[in-house]
Amino acid sequence: MSASCSVDLTPAEKVLERYPAEEASLIQVLQDVHRAYNYLPCEVLVRVAETLHVPLAKVFSVGTFYKAFSLTPQGRTIVKVCTGTACHIRGAVQLLDELCRQLNVEPGGTTPDLGFTVKTVNCVGACAMAPVLIVDETYYGNAAAAKVGKYLKGSGGKADAN
Amino acid sequence: MSIENSGKPVTLTIDGKPVQAHSGEFLLAVAQRAGITIPTLCHHPALEPYGGCRLCVVDVTEEGWDGWCKMVIACQFPVKEGIIAFTASERVIETRRVVLDLLLARCPDTPLIQRLAREYGIEKTSYVPNPNPTDCILCALCTRVCDHIGVSAIATVNRGIGREVAPPYHQPPPDCIGCLACAEICPTDYIPYTTSSTSRTIWGKSFEMLRCPTCGRAHITVEQARHFAGHGGVSEDYFTTCDACKRKQMAGTFQRLQGVLPAAAPPAR
Ligand code: SF4
Ligand code: FES
Ligand code: FES
Repeated sequence: MSASCSVDLTPAEKVLERYPAEEASLIQVLQDVHRAYNYLPCEVLVRVAETLHVPLAKVFSVGTFYKAFSLTPQGRTIVKVCTGTACHIRGAVQLLDELCRQLNVEPGGTTPDLGFTVKTVNCVGACAMAPVLIVDETYYGNAAAAKVGKYLKGSGGKADAN
Repeated sequence: MSIENSGKPVTLTIDGKPVQAHSGEFLLAVAQRAGITIPTLCHHPALEPYGGCRLCVVDVTEEGWDGWCKMVIACQFPVKEGIIAFTASERVIETRRVVLDLLLARCPDTPLIQRLAREYGIEKTSYVPNPNPTDCILCALCTRVCDHIGVSAIATVNRGIGREVAPPYHQPPPDCIGCLACAEICPTDYIPYTTSSTSRTIWGKSFEMLRCPTCGRAHITVEQARHFAGHGGVSEDYFTTCDACKRKQMAGTFQRLQGVLPAAAPPAR
């Protein structure tokens, strides 16, 4: 396998114990495992495949299909910028640029200290509040590039750039 | 695909021709039996229909629908009594043209797609051609045949424009048995492999070959023999002799039984 990771499998084992060892459990297990590790480490996917008797190729297929899953370590805080049509028109690009500038990452990237991951999403269904920025579970409507530092401070990660 | 002959007999009309079938059978199979050709790209009679390519679209209507037609894919449309199908109406042809135009944009250099597109009057795609041309049309025949034989070494990964067929982590797939079924079923010969009298490589994984003790031909990988022995409940030895030699031996046995050939000397122990 890739990555030279030596991941502690205990959290994965705990998750797997709670579900019947069958293919139908796959997505539930992946969601819980993702919560436990904040991403899907390859060793964990191998273990999930073995335990649920699902071919590894299927597990990998599902793990790469859903946007909710990440195969690379993610930041403790996930910042999403909506780049849907309404948000785009109302300044999502400037918002995203400023966010990436402050955290010094590319869209989709994660800060080296694993503090933040920046993602873009396509319409979160709150177009009336466009542009929308989401820090973990907190939604900021009419978000302004000038306030990006403030949004980040309200979060659990360390916003060292401000 | 298992044809559901359990359904009750029905009569339908395809391109004005009355056709007998069983309810629940898929329209594509019924049409083929009646000698009516519907183009397909993701269909294979040995596999469950997939509905991935949309090339097999046809129009279907019923008595009392006032001429209103719905467009369905023939490979996954179960027939019933009285339906009227049109496999080459103007609307159908136009839809197929769009499908092929899009496919040609994805695969501008692929001979199969070029040929099909040309049959529908398309020389060049009207969309922006893929800057990184690929021969893979994502028909998933390869992944489905791999599933079908109980291996599942490859699958489609990612989604949207990033979707592709690949082994887990793009590494040599641990489950692959080197049977080449994926490469052989691929309609565009997209999956590369090498095979010789001593070894075989596919998906970046190398395999050792078994040699037929009779003719010496390297015809199957060690992993293949193990896999099929495990699934078929026969011994691995069954696979050491190649199919051609097995057939010859079998024919010899029959002829001896019928007294055409003298009985063979018992094999030396
Ligand atoms: S590799 Fe070939 S068989 Fe597999 S999806 Fe692509 S075109 Fe179809
Ligand atoms: S476009 Fe951003 S919420 Fe709809
Ligand atoms: S053959 Fe019916 S959708 Fe591909």
